[in-house]
Order: sequence, then structure tokens, then C-alpha cells
Amino acid sequence: MLALADFDAPTRSASGFLIRHILPRTGPPQLIGLLDRKTTFTMLTFGDLIIGMGHGSPDTFTGQNEVVLLEAGKYDPRLVEGKFVKLLSCECGQVLGQDIVDNGATAFQGYTEDFLWVMDYDYILTPWDDPMAKKALLPVVCSMHLILDGKTNREAFNAEIEGFALNAEEEEDELIKSCIEFNRANAVLLGDESAKIRARPKISFPIPPPPLISPLRI
Amino acid sequence: MPTEEFEKLKEALREAPTEEARKAAAEAMRRYLEKRGRGSRPMLVSLATKKRGYPTAVPLNKIPEEMERNPAYYNLIKKVITKEK
Repeated sequence: MLALADFDAPTRSASGFLIRHILPRTGPPQLIGLLDRKTTFTMLTFGDLIIGMGHGSPDTFTGQNEVVLLEAGKYDPRLVEGKFVKLLSCECGQVLGQDIVDNGATAFQGYTEDFLWVMDYDYILTPWDDPMAKKALLPVVCSMHLILDGKTNREAFNAEIEGFALNAEEEEDELIKSCIEFNRANAVLLGDESAKIRARPKISFPIPPPPLISPLRI
Repeated sequence: MPTEEFEKLKEALREAPTEEARKAAAEAMRRYLEKRGRGSRPMLVSLATKKRGYPTAVPLNKIPEEMERNPAYYNLIKKVITKEK
């Protein structure tokens, strides 16, 4: 399952990268924007993977307009049981991640602090082209690709960490570099390090999607 | 290679978080951003919820104001730049 919020600048920027690179490799259900809400999310107990992106806190992960999709101790365990869960969100690695694993998820990847990056608002319609945001977001995309390739929790996590390290090393802008290093330091892996999912076919679209023109909350 | 302005910003952020220190760090951030001066409309964004008490998208040129006004945002910038918990 892919669950992507898309209602403000940060979620538009991050969802843009996942729509461009990850969406073609994931089957339905793909909850994007207005579909990324509690009623649809909680009905979908099947599948072996949850890739989520939205605002978060230590014990919650939210969807469109910050509606709570997962709250520690307050969701049906069947939603995560036997699944590989990766949440691109702030702080979920503190409490929610362990709760998800305790409820039967095979693996969890997330962040224990804020996930931050510098984006360029001039790319808000085609966020996948944003040269500033890609430094922080492409390592995450890379790890999601590896999960979809059937690589292990540990292999995918290590690739993301190495991607952050490489991008930080090459980055000359100190603020962007600091954000990448901060995200790297706070990335967390929980559950079975050898957990993996059924490999999905490698699909990439050479032509990017059309510009994202849905309205944003300012 | 860190610039002199960025090093001064780091030093300012390492001070105890009094109101004066926040103002001094905000001023150091202003000087750093003036020197940085690239990108068309750059913003610092995060995936935190509203509960954290700071905006999740701040144009870079508004960061100093937000640091002065909002201790929670000042603490976030401090954590990110100084790597101090």
C-alpha cells in the first residue's frame, strides 16, 4: 500500500518524488491526496508492504490534512501484521515504529526526529525536478526501490544511510548538508533485519508525470 | 567547506537559549543567509505535525524571524545545525 499526503509544501515535495519514482512499482491500493484518509487506509489489511509519507509525531502517522492514520495502541493490528512498513514522516521511530513491530510487522523504517529538507517552491508543480530537495529525498527513494527489489530491511536501510552520507559529503550548502546529516543520524530500523517482501518488477517511466496542480494549504 | 558565517551561526546556537541568545542566533542566521543567497524560492520544510508548535514550511529568509519569535523553532534549528540533542 502506498499512502501519500499531498496538501502542503512539504508533503507535495516528498509525494512528488514518490509519485515519480515509486508509484509505478507499487500496485493498488495507492492512496494519494484526497484518498489518503482514515476510512480507506484502515480497510486495507491485505498486502505485504506499507509505504507511507505524511506528517508525524512520536506516536502518530497522519495522512491528508493531518488526519491520523496510525496511532500507537489504537489501530487494528491486522493493518500491519506480517508487513514491511516504511514511513517517511517525523518522529514515528520513537514510539509508533516499535508499536507497529510489536503488533506483528516484520520490519519498520522511519525517523526518530524531524525529517527536514530544503525545497525550492518554484518546483511546486513538478517537485521531482527540484535540485535542492533531491539531495534529501533521493536516498529515501533509493531505499524504497531496494525494498521493492526484494532486498532485506538491513540492506535497504544501509543504502539510505550511505546515500545520505554521500550527498552530505558532496553538498556545499551548509544548511542543506546539515539537514541531510540530521536525517541520517535519526533514521531508524526496527524489527527483523533480514525481513523482505516479494520482489516487484522494475518499472520506470522515462516521461515524468504531468504537473501536480491540486490546490495546496499555505 | 563551512563558511565563516556558518561557523558563527553554530557558535551562536550553542549559547544557552535565552531571549538574547535567540536574537543573536537569528542575527547570525540572517548574515549567513545573506551570504548564501542562492535558489529562487527556497524553503526549509519538515514532516512534523502541527502539535510541535512551529510551521512546517518556512522560506529561508523568514527563518531568523521565526527563530526569534518561536523558541520551539529555535530549538529545532539548534538541533539540526549544532547536532546537539
